[in-house]
Amino acid sequence: MNIQTFSEEQDLFRESLREFCEQTIVPRRTELEDKKEIPDDIIKAMAEFELLAPSVSPDFGGAGFDAVTAGIAAEELARADPTCSIPVLYLVQCSWGHVFNKFGTEEAKGEILPKVTKGEAICGIATTEADIGSDLGNMVTTIKPTDKGYVINGNKNYISGVREAAKYGGGHVTLARQDLEAGTRGMTMFFFPLKDVPGVTISEDEEMGREAISTGGFIIDNVEIPKHYLIGEENKGFYLVHIGYEYARGLIALVCVGAAMKSIENGIAYIKERKAFGRPIGKYEAIQFALAEHYTRLEMARDFAYKALYYLEKEQSEGKYSRMEVSKIIAMSKLLTPGWAFNAIDDAMQWQGAFGYSRECPDQSALRAIRSFTLAEGSREIMRLIVARELLGKDFIAYK
Amino acid sequence: MKIVACVKQVPDTTEVKIDEKTGTLIREGVPSIINPFDQFAVELAIKLKEEHGGEVSVISMGPPQAKAVLTKSLALGADKAVLLSDRKFAGADTLATAYTLALAIEKLGDFDLVLCGLQAIDGDTAQVGPEMAQRLKIPQITYAENVVFEDNKFIVDKLTESGLEKLQVKPPALVAVITPSDFVPGNPPFSKIMKAKKKPLDTWTADDLGGDPERFGLNGSPTWVKRVYSPPRKEKGEILTDPPEEVAKRLVEILAKEGFL
Repeated sequence: MNIQTFSEEQDLFRESLREFCEQTIVPRRTELEDKKEIPDDIIKAMAEFELLAPSVSPDFGGAGFDAVTAGIAAEELARADPTCSIPVLYLVQCSWGHVFNKFGTEEAKGEILPKVTKGEAICGIATTEADIGSDLGNMVTTIKPTDKGYVINGNKNYISGVREAAKYGGGHVTLARQDLEAGTRGMTMFFFPLKDVPGVTISEDEEMGREAISTGGFIIDNVEIPKHYLIGEENKGFYLVHIGYEYARGLIALVCVGAAMKSIENGIAYIKERKAFGRPIGKYEAIQFALAEHYTRLEMARDFAYKALYYLEKEQSEGKYSRMEVSKIIAMSKLLTPGWAFNAIDDAMQWQGAFGYSRECPDQSALRAIRSFTLAEGSREIMRLIVARELLGKDFIAYK
Repeated sequence: MKIVACVKQVPDTTEVKIDEKTGTLIREGVPSIINPFDQFAVELAIKLKEEHGGEVSVISMGPPQAKAVLTKSLALGADKAVLLSDRKFAGADTLATAYTLALAIEKLGDFDLVLCGLQAIDGDTAQVGPEMAQRLKIPQITYAENVVFEDNKFIVDKLTESGLEKLQVKPPALVAVITPSDFVPGNPPFSKIMKAKKKPLDTWTADDLGGDPERFGLNGSPTWVKRVYSPPRKEKGEILTDPPEEVAKRLVEILAKEGFL
């Protein structure tokens, strides 16, 4: 096991990105919440700074980020945008851009990925349906081969970036059942476009946070996609989808750390200044004890998250670790970090009293956003099952 | 066009503190940054190169970790960089620093323009630029907000107390810049940082530079810092809130009493 340290270039990248965020993103938080969209000029600036699907190869317009560098960006973007709307766009495109880049056809990659990296199209992920989340083997969406390509029927729900894909173009990496008798071994992955596609009906959902990126669903009624939109091999999608999920889970841990650390820093500044009963409230043990524990947990979570991404990178680029080892360590990283981050932000708000609950306080934005990550890209309950499965062996797989 | 930009790694002074006992800056744990004026100098050099062709070299004197500001300069678009690093350079005041930098500039070969920040935010002396120009025997313009190149001359916008002066100077020359109010420092993305890794970044020692060893570092420094301290906080000022006529009258009284009139 290697202890993760950053290269000089990664340190410089973090410094450069933090400055970029201070200039471009930090002053815009309330605008993101009010307008409920990421302004075009921020998307353009992110494209120029290579933050859109940066895991994609430079051959298709990406920056060729390794997973650890991708983690640095996830952490910094979450520090800058407590609504986590920009981090969500970032982590989804980074994770699924990686899968598309690695397993998509050359024709589809050339057609779609350069637009995604320029901010002219979206690359999201759509697996969840109205009645299934973690239980992918029971999804209703189907894919059938035709002479020209594939016909898709079904629905997808609670999908990030639906409105954006319908507006700008692009679409979602999607999973459907092809061999209906084979369960998870009969699932196929493909790219599904959302802009101006006859047979697609889009809806939007209101969420508790992350206002500036849409969440919604789409119904697919007999929509044919070209053959080259297939990602990987037919009936092998279930294996590929976990690569994307693990990439996303690894990044989510750092989004949680970034947002929560920023809240703790906000809290520290406040408790040093705010006085109660004649002294700064930071002098009280009740606050000091909580501060010390949150900070310690977040530092541990941070180091572990980078270690997990290092494993993922080594597995993906060099085959150094097994898929199962990576699944476990990534699940461990995602299992506790969102909850720790949520609790840290909750206390940072508490220290700030009535101000902490006001809209002016950025930490309330972070609290609402971070709550989503105990669910998104794999609930904490599923993370527990994955870790336990790897510890106990395949004879103890739950629900089998 | 050959341009040399001089940069310094400085502590982020928004976070620096002073050790009350020793009177020195506490640098441990304080992030280091490229001196903001120097970053503008580097970006201006790169802009001139992009407009007129040529090459931008960046030099810095400092400990090995100062390489970080050179890597950043390369990532911003400079072509090559040299770090002047040797224990013999330690403790240099502005004169010894200017001597060392000027030797390095001469060693780099012919140049058209030397760009440097007006001053470093940790020392605030604003002496190194002019001293380098003196040593290199070239004309100098300070307080520059912009430089363009036309008809084989540099046209320089120099900020003065009353406004802007447009000056022109033939190469070779030295220009010390201040950051214009609308300057947004560039932030290189990851791919440019990775490309910077492949550009030449050399380290030169005192032996590489030649020159008079007695003029480097502490030996070559006629001045030294006796003590660094935070000045005591000023007392709260008086805010005049009366109608303008009354305020004017009261202001004149105060200024006269304090001996300003």
